[in-house]
Amino acid sequence: MNFSRPIKLPPEQIANFEAEIDAIREEEMAKVGQKDVQYIRKVIRICRASEITGRALLHFGVGPISWFLGVFALATSKILDNMEIGHNVMHGQYDWTGDPALNSQKFEWDIAADGDQWRHSHNVMHHNHTNILGKDRDFGYAILRLTDEQKWKPRHRYQPFVNLMLALNFQYAVGSNDVPFARYKYGKITKQEYKSYLDKFLKKVGMHTLKDYVFFPLLALWSAPRVLLGNMAANLIRNVWTYAIIFCGHFTDGVALYRQEDTVNETRGEWYIRQLSGSSNIEGSRLFHIMSGHLSHQIEHHLFPDMPAHHYPLVAPRIKALCEKYGLRYNTGNLFNQFATVIRRIHKYSKPSKQTSLEAVLS
Amino acid sequence: MITQTPETKHFQAIAVSVASTLKRASVHPWATAFVRPETWNGALKSLNPMLSLGEVRARVIQITDETSDTKTFVLRPNVFWQQAKAGQFVRVGVEINGRLTERIYSLSSAPGDKFLSITVKRKKQGHFSNALHDSLKVGDVVSLSHAEGEFILPPLIPQKVLLLSAGSGITPVMSILKELAAQQPHTDVVHLHICKNEEDFIFARSLLKLAEAMPSLLLLPHFTQNSGRFPAKSLKTLLPDIGERSTWLCGPENLMKDVHDLWKAEGYKSPLYSEKFAATLLSPATPASPATVTFAKSCKTFLTQSSAPLLVQAEEAGLSPKHGCRIGICATCQCIKKSGTVENLQTGKVSSAPNELIRICVSVARSNVELHL
Repeated sequence: MNFSRPIKLPPEQIANFEAEIDAIREEEMAKVGQKDVQYIRKVIRICRASEITGRALLHFGVGPISWFLGVFALATSKILDNMEIGHNVMHGQYDWTGDPALNSQKFEWDIAADGDQWRHSHNVMHHNHTNILGKDRDFGYAILRLTDEQKWKPRHRYQPFVNLMLALNFQYAVGSNDVPFARYKYGKITKQEYKSYLDKFLKKVGMHTLKDYVFFPLLALWSAPRVLLGNMAANLIRNVWTYAIIFCGHFTDGVALYRQEDTVNETRGEWYIRQLSGSSNIEGSRLFHIMSGHLSHQIEHHLFPDMPAHHYPLVAPRIKALCEKYGLRYNTGNLFNQFATVIRRIHKYSKPSKQTSLEAVLS
Repeated sequence: MITQTPETKHFQAIAVSVASTLKRASVHPWATAFVRPETWNGALKSLNPMLSLGEVRARVIQITDETSDTKTFVLRPNVFWQQAKAGQFVRVGVEINGRLTERIYSLSSAPGDKFLSITVKRKKQGHFSNALHDSLKVGDVVSLSHAEGEFILPPLIPQKVLLLSAGSGITPVMSILKELAAQQPHTDVVHLHICKNEEDFIFARSLLKLAEAMPSLLLLPHFTQNSGRFPAKSLKTLLPDIGERSTWLCGPENLMKDVHDLWKAEGYKSPLYSEKFAATLLSPATPASPATVTFAKSCKTFLTQSSAPLLVQAEEAGLSPKHGCRIGICATCQCIKKSGTVENLQTGKVSSAPNELIRICVSVARSNVELHL
């Protein structure tokens, strides 16, 4: 249940490791082409068809079976839109196509998180500063205590419950992740600056609420409650699913945690090692990987964030072999086992750690 | 269709205004909260690749071989196409190996023709021309820009005209010639065309046919295989009245330079219009040393490897900045240079002030550079 310490290798080994990772990247990126565009367009078509089917079943269906099917189809569409399409397109994995529909900077998705804010908190903060305590805002989403390095506060006692709420409302946590609550609280930024972030987030939340909880229910006239509940259920399923996949990416047992001083003058090779040791994979079928936006290949994703994601399973065996060669841990497991370690961690660190309480007694 | 009857014009006006209203509605913030604008484009495209909310697209309806390495693609544009003047060019976009790629081509059709056409010579290293020759089929749809360019006839057609073309530079000249034949068939026109040999003469048959219908047209072919390089100075003896001839010139850089020099040396007063086909880049003043180029908006950085333009270097580094003609004409690749020094290889101008607009297809880095891309 512990995070591992930062991984250290001798400098010449780091340089070799960097060269080998670069070679894998170059070789795989040379294969990118027509097939990738066809693939992502197919996923987009399936996603749209699934959204239309879902909404139609909720609006015009009668009885519970069509409601469940509608929720299932709508949730599938939201998951595909957010994960395999949105997350990956917004990483710039398809910018090389020149297709405006696949442009990372213009893409906007069906979730209560503003695209521009997410691009900053995720692409800039999370991917550059992965697992650096105090810099990576995805680490515990600023409310969970996941390690002894974080100071225990009484509110952490309710962490298991907070965690459940986080899972159910995950889209709002993702959406507000770029809003600098703490920096405003400690007077690091002006109210005006803070408000500009907050307003942008709230605007997207408002639009999303209007769409799923006002507009579509009203459109359904007398079926309004049915549509409202259906949309809520679909958003809920998407929230819990994305939460589970993302939490298994960085908070599982044995993932390495870094402090800011560990990463001063970091070379590209050291960055690769941090990305690798700070991430963990989930094993599963091809469908499972697609439905998780290939974030089940979190390690490969963090090494190559702008490689079209469905290439990750193709490079995974080579990364794994490289890990064996350099004696690094390739952290992987099935969803159940990986998620169990995350939950155990959340429970463990909801209590003050022993040393800290001992220190408290001594002082 | 390019020929417009009052009815088709009326229909076009309605379609364009409906489409632009729909487009404006689709990008309204309230609308985008429900459906992203790209979704509409995608849906229309999957219904029919010619459908769009304003983008010009064209279907290939015929492909003809002009010479062994040159093909003419006849295109039927959608309703958004607006008239082109003879001699203008368009940006043609196709998807090559998943990448949307664009190049500019002069229209070889004249405004009076029923359809548009572009005539493409296969270049040895030409990624795009080879793709058009090898993969573009009848029935395929390409994207087009509206026509641009100043290589056109003036409103008042001059009495005496010289058309001077070499190789595939004949394409805009052919368009102008067809327009001349339609507007003023009695204009005194000399068309001097330079190419390797008879087999290499693009539009040879159409030109002969045109000459039959236009008795005042004099065709002067020059075959370099037999007669060697065409000396620009021989124009003086070949055409004693050259100083009175409005001239349209399109061909390789050295020919264009020679003719321009002749005009300057002899002090001809008649206008000389020219159109270039490839970027003529100065060799950079100092050899390039590696520089770091930063794309500020997308947080990407690469190190320059050679003295090739920034666009080429960025592409080699795996990035794909927006671009069009790649020869410093269309300004599609134009961007704000936030800091650093670049040299424009076309003009030799050095830009070192911050926040200047540069065209990355013809600029090289002279220091570390930050671009707003």
